[in-house]
Amino acid sequence: MKWKNVLRLIGVDIKSGRLIRGQKLRRYRESRVIQYVMYGGSCLLGISLGLFVGTFYGGITDPEMKVALLLGAKSFFIATPTLVLTYSLILTMMRQIQGAGIKASIQPPYWLPITWGEHTLAAILANLIGIQLAALIFIVLAISVVSIFLGIVPLAVLTIFALLAIAFLASATTEIFRVLQVRLTGVVYKTSGKAAIWIRFFGSILLFIAFYVVYFFFTSGANFLAIIETFASGQKTVWFIPYLWLGMALFSFVNSQIVETVAFSLGSVAFLSVLFVVAVKLNNRFGLYEPPAIKISIGTYAPKLSIWRKLGFSLSEAAIMRKDFRAFTRRRELMFFFVLPVVIVIMWIMPLARTPYFQALSTFSVLILLIPGALMALMLGSMIIGQEGPSVWHLYSSPVTAESLVKCKYTFVVILSCAVTLASNAFGILIIHLSLRVIFAALIESIFLIVSLSAVSLRAGIKGASFVEIPRPRMIRPIELIINFIICLILAGVILAPLFPYVGTMFGLLNPQPQFYLYIALAISGVISAIVTYGFYRIALKNAEDFLAEAEI
Amino acid sequence: MVTGFESAVKLMGVAKRYADVVAVDYVDLDVKKGEIFGLLGPNGSGKSTLLKMILGLVKPDSGSVNVLGKKAEEDSVAIKAQAGYVPEVPRLYEFLTGIEYLDFTADLYGVGPAEKKQRINEYLEALELKDREGDMISAYSLGMKQKITLISAFVHRPKLLLLDEPLSGLDPRSARIIKDLLRELASKGITTIMSTHVLEIAQAMCDRIAIMYEGRLLAIGNMENLREKARLPGSNLEEIFLTLTGTGDIRDVVEALME
Repeated sequence: MKWKNVLRLIGVDIKSGRLIRGQKLRRYRESRVIQYVMYGGSCLLGISLGLFVGTFYGGITDPEMKVALLLGAKSFFIATPTLVLTYSLILTMMRQIQGAGIKASIQPPYWLPITWGEHTLAAILANLIGIQLAALIFIVLAISVVSIFLGIVPLAVLTIFALLAIAFLASATTEIFRVLQVRLTGVVYKTSGKAAIWIRFFGSILLFIAFYVVYFFFTSGANFLAIIETFASGQKTVWFIPYLWLGMALFSFVNSQIVETVAFSLGSVAFLSVLFVVAVKLNNRFGLYEPPAIKISIGTYAPKLSIWRKLGFSLSEAAIMRKDFRAFTRRRELMFFFVLPVVIVIMWIMPLARTPYFQALSTFSVLILLIPGALMALMLGSMIIGQEGPSVWHLYSSPVTAESLVKCKYTFVVILSCAVTLASNAFGILIIHLSLRVIFAALIESIFLIVSLSAVSLRAGIKGASFVEIPRPRMIRPIELIINFIICLILAGVILAPLFPYVGTMFGLLNPQPQFYLYIALAISGVISAIVTYGFYRIALKNAEDFLAEAEI
Repeated sequence: MVTGFESAVKLMGVAKRYADVVAVDYVDLDVKKGEIFGLLGPNGSGKSTLLKMILGLVKPDSGSVNVLGKKAEEDSVAIKAQAGYVPEVPRLYEFLTGIEYLDFTADLYGVGPAEKKQRINEYLEALELKDREGDMISAYSLGMKQKITLISAFVHRPKLLLLDEPLSGLDPRSARIIKDLLRELASKGITTIMSTHVLEIAQAMCDRIAIMYEGRLLAIGNMENLREKARLPGSNLEEIFLTLTGTGDIRDVVEALME
């Protein structure tokens, strides 16, 4: 194995992550700041935490407390490999899922004198770069500094080795899954025919959701300590799982069981080697495999009158909306938009569900009815133009007017966001058991928010459209996205403001309002929403005229 | 075949800069209706920018662009409606099938259902895409993508065709079909402006040829005019091109590489 080749391949991956394209497509700009700020921050945080815990330990005079803290630290050290394994598996797999939609994914450069072993090793290591590496740096430094104060340096050294090995183990597992998943996808495409497109759509969404459920389960605050305790005490009972052997080695070392320590360490090295060899073999066999084409339409072509045409849209407007609908059900990076509302609900519900205040807080959960639709409008509106990517030349070169472009894109965003809000309201009725009155008000307000925020975001989406697809589709310039987010937040507050007294009543903060107040508040809110929508729709039209006047291609 | 003296495309003093790079340097050009006009030039000589300016995709810094009797800066939508465009690197909507893509582009140009069905089926048949039209474009080869792009440029029966490397990646049969089709269209008054690096194709197909270099028009005319300009009687387009663009040191370069 040529290590220089491995380093070069990793370098390509790092570089692609750092590439930020300039405003004009012909200019590239590379930013190392974000990359190094993250790692520098991790170093600083890790050392600071280590110093803080170490100093705190040094300041304790009570010997019993000192012993308890030392035992706690040892338990933590033993649990960290398994914790890091879990996090690394989730993060590397999430990275692979996100990477699936990247146009310029790094393909094995099979025409160059690089072996599959070198490629696989580089892929495994490169997959760890980013948040995973930053987290690892943080933990390793914190452990190192703490161990000096606590006098457990040998254990810390072993733990650090274990952490590095376990991160590699996780990434190797992800690499194996990636190759198998590509092969499996091919089988599914081949066997399911026309249905493949929907299998892919629902399969991807379910996969996204499953990952986020697991992710939030691990990252939501209260669970963290409980998981450490479980890992530290429980891993001995499941010693036969090779992924836990590194933790077992540390456990044995702490209990001075030298034979077990050596056995589990050697076992881990063997397991790691086996995983690597399997990954290399799989890459060798399927590394260049590409799933077959999905055959969607079969038979003689006969144009149909689309639903959009029936609703009065022009031929070109209907064509763009139909194309966008297909894009959102077929492009993996756009499917994420459907996952977003579900993720928000999960984020909201999971921490609440574990608290005894769940019922009391359910009134607050009325936001679940408002947020998914509004957020969908915000995200979709700001990215609906940029998602065209380099194919945007179709819009530039065809006789599409600014009016048509804004009309069809705006309608598409509103319809999709309304569908989401209807689904989240159904969720509200079935799960949170809110009153029909609240549901009704939330539904109306949600539609007001969608209608206005779609126009606001579309304005930003046209002005800040980014057709960059390397390293991943960006869709909107970050600064425009941030500005739009702030504007949307303020305007959402303004639209919802007439309802604040009513909400205050619900929480008992204000004296009860007359029943009819709700309807007056909704009417005022509607008027504000209409003004916002009109104003920003006009600006979007102006932006579209400028956008179509000179092509960014 | 040039059907008259009426201009299809007229550029006067057109210039375009990108930062420090001069893409097009005060170009005057007059392309007649029914003409097949070739744009030749080394990479980065401004051919693609010129085509984009004609379609109104790129605004010139100075000068005027008249296309089919309309000013590009004032009436670009009307010009686009009557033009068919094939970019140098056509990035298609790869999540669509070939047929969905053609249906989409035909709708963008407002082609009615009956015409759309007939024309698309005819082109698919002619360019041998009939069994693959239901596949997603992402699985197409480069040549198949080029065929789909060409069909999308022809499907609305444009009066002006702007083709940037139209035959790249095509198999010999399809390339021949496109060449003959362009000739037939020219005889019916359809104007074609095409940029190409394949000099044999330009020599065989084009009524007139313009040679561009560093944004400037070095020479313009039919083969005889170009031979006169290069002072190379009886020579072919390759020799003329290399002489005019000052890239005729091929022998020295090859020898240096072989050392």
